[in-house]
Amino acid sequence: MKTFKIEQRNSDGFEILDLYGELDAHTASQLEESLKNLISNHKSNIIVNFRELDYIASAGLGVFMAYIEDVRTIGGDIKLSNMNDKVYNVFDLLGFPTLYDIFDDEKQAINKFLSDS
Amino acid sequence: MINVKIDHSKENSHSKFELKTVLETSRMLVESRDSAFIINNLLLILMGRLLVTKAAIFIHDPVKETYCLKKRKGFDKFQEGSHYNFELNSEQVNQSYFELTGNSNLIPSADADLNNCYLFNLRTSNNHHGYLLLGPKANNRKFNPEDLEFAESLCIISTAALVNSQLFTELTTTYRNLDRRIHELNTLFDLSKEFNLLVDRDKISSIFKFALLGQLFIRTFFLIYKTGDSYSLLASSGAVTKPSQKQIDRIFSEADEDIIVVDDDLRNRHDWINKSHITTLFSVTIQNERVALIGVGERVNKIPFSDADYNFLKSLANLAVISIQKTFFLEERIDKERMEEELSIAKAIQEGLLPDPIPEIAGVDLAAKTISSREVGGDYFDIAEAPDGNTIFAIADVTGKGVPAALLMANLQSMLHVLLPVEITLSEATDRINNIIHKNTPSDKFITFFWAKYINDHKILRYVNAGHNPPLLLRFGEDEFIELTDGGLLLGAMETMMPYVQTDIQLNSGDLLVCYTDGIDETMNAGDEEYGTKRLKDCIVSNRDKSSQEILDAIVNSVKEYSGNKFSDDLTLLVLKACD
Repeated sequence: MKTFKIEQRNSDGFEILDLYGELDAHTASQLEESLKNLISNHKSNIIVNFRELDYIASAGLGVFMAYIEDVRTIGGDIKLSNMNDKVYNVFDLLGFPTLYDIFDDEKQAINKFLSDS
Repeated sequence: MINVKIDHSKENSHSKFELKTVLETSRMLVESRDSAFIINNLLLILMGRLLVTKAAIFIHDPVKETYCLKKRKGFDKFQEGSHYNFELNSEQVNQSYFELTGNSNLIPSADADLNNCYLFNLRTSNNHHGYLLLGPKANNRKFNPEDLEFAESLCIISTAALVNSQLFTELTTTYRNLDRRIHELNTLFDLSKEFNLLVDRDKISSIFKFALLGQLFIRTFFLIYKTGDSYSLLASSGAVTKPSQKQIDRIFSEADEDIIVVDDDLRNRHDWINKSHITTLFSVTIQNERVALIGVGERVNKIPFSDADYNFLKSLANLAVISIQKTFFLEERIDKERMEEELSIAKAIQEGLLPDPIPEIAGVDLAAKTISSREVGGDYFDIAEAPDGNTIFAIADVTGKGVPAALLMANLQSMLHVLLPVEITLSEATDRINNIIHKNTPSDKFITFFWAKYINDHKILRYVNAGHNPPLLLRFGEDEFIELTDGGLLLGAMETMMPYVQTDIQLNSGDLLVCYTDGIDETMNAGDEEYGTKRLKDCIVSNRDKSSQEILDAIVNSVKEYSGNKFSDDLTLLVLKACD
């Protein structure tokens, strides 16, 4: 099992969070910290890249639910990209595609941000 | 001849075309899982092939016992999505298709001209699924038998494909529901593992919140938890504003059902619930006690909660609340253990304040013992050597029991030892101790105190009794006890107005002095009767020839036996016997 970690980088003025390993009840608070940090620094154009994420539990999804409104209120969005099938299935199962933009690739997410602004 | 031949080959190629169409359609339809596509294709192929301008497909709704119009081309009088009743006679019901006449009243609710239309039964070998209503040909010609046969074949194939697609949809739905349940179970399993490892209440609340938000697809949430008689908000999310204590108390006491769907009435009475967009309230009950209230907002995609959702929420909430309860129990236990540890240290400290072993004093046989009803107590005795080489004996009883009494006892002990080297009389020393105790302690705390100095050279016992149970002196050869009562008020009651009186007593060989605290004479038996001084005196008399230690043990055993081995108060004995 890979340990969960989050790496943060900036691409073309967008905040990218790369997730690694397993996002479960135990590690959800780390994601919460990262999102809270970005929001308090008014960095609201956020892309979460799931390429290296192997597993996501409901608590992980809950973090996105808890902060999407805050991000959108300050004019930004959280866009999701590069999920493997297993991870996407969980998002799909719980109805997330109706509320979040989910892309195959990070570049598409950036383009969506650019075309929306 | 030629004409006939041409006709024949034309007919041949025509039927080949039809066969090909049926085959291709059949392949396409069977592969399709989309009922709208199948229905649309059936209409378009038939209309094109038979030159018809209007057609419609009705699908049977077994619940409502009606037919729902799924798709129409032409037939403007009908509305897609509306339900209609068909009135067929018993002969028509079993027919594969039949022609309608001008006076046909097939669909009573629709005011439509169905003259020259055909109705095709959409059925498989077992079941009836609906009807295809086919308008007349655009060129007003009659349908020939090939037309009808072609339409019938296509209806059979399409119906089979429709049934397939329905089955596929049902299976997909079932599969997804199953997948959701599995995911819910995984969530419960994950969290129960996680909660087991956690002792941090905030962390448990936060994980519970996120799991609920994710699994139920909601944004708004709160958790109120009951500890003792007070309620507190442990976690919240979304539009939930911070409630006042009053708002928390009110909603908790009012929402006393398992599940409450928030209605206008409740919204009007609880502004906080209204402003927080809470739509459903859940109570968590553990061992017949409502211990938590959970509020959630509506699902982001507006899909109402199902029973399965409620069940999931309930299981997860139970899990979280039990884990939260566990953290409180754990804290209580840690507090209790810490208290016990501190008390056992205090006990050791207090024991260290008492003389151990009992020193040997020339000319007297001495024994002393204290038994605390709790870890620490307020009884005190002391035996110490004064600077002039004589010996000080003391016995005292602080009002109350336990830690408060022990603190005061320690205070008295230190004063006594500070004053010991000071060259003042016993009486003056008592005056000072009283003033300090009076100044330093609450007005409801007192000490009864007896102390004496044994002057070795003259075998004189000089004593002051500050409100203590009078020690009992039994002279050698006599049967009457002398009670040593002289002195003054108990310590701490008021400032010293009258000096404490000190009295000298000459001790002779064989004289016996027993000092005790009220734990001895006030010990109760099962019938709520006190042990009393009479029993004490009898016990002393019957053991008077023994050593001090033996007399002490005899008294303790007698009291123990009397009380049934239960001491509800601290008790202390100091026995002194003058010898040669």
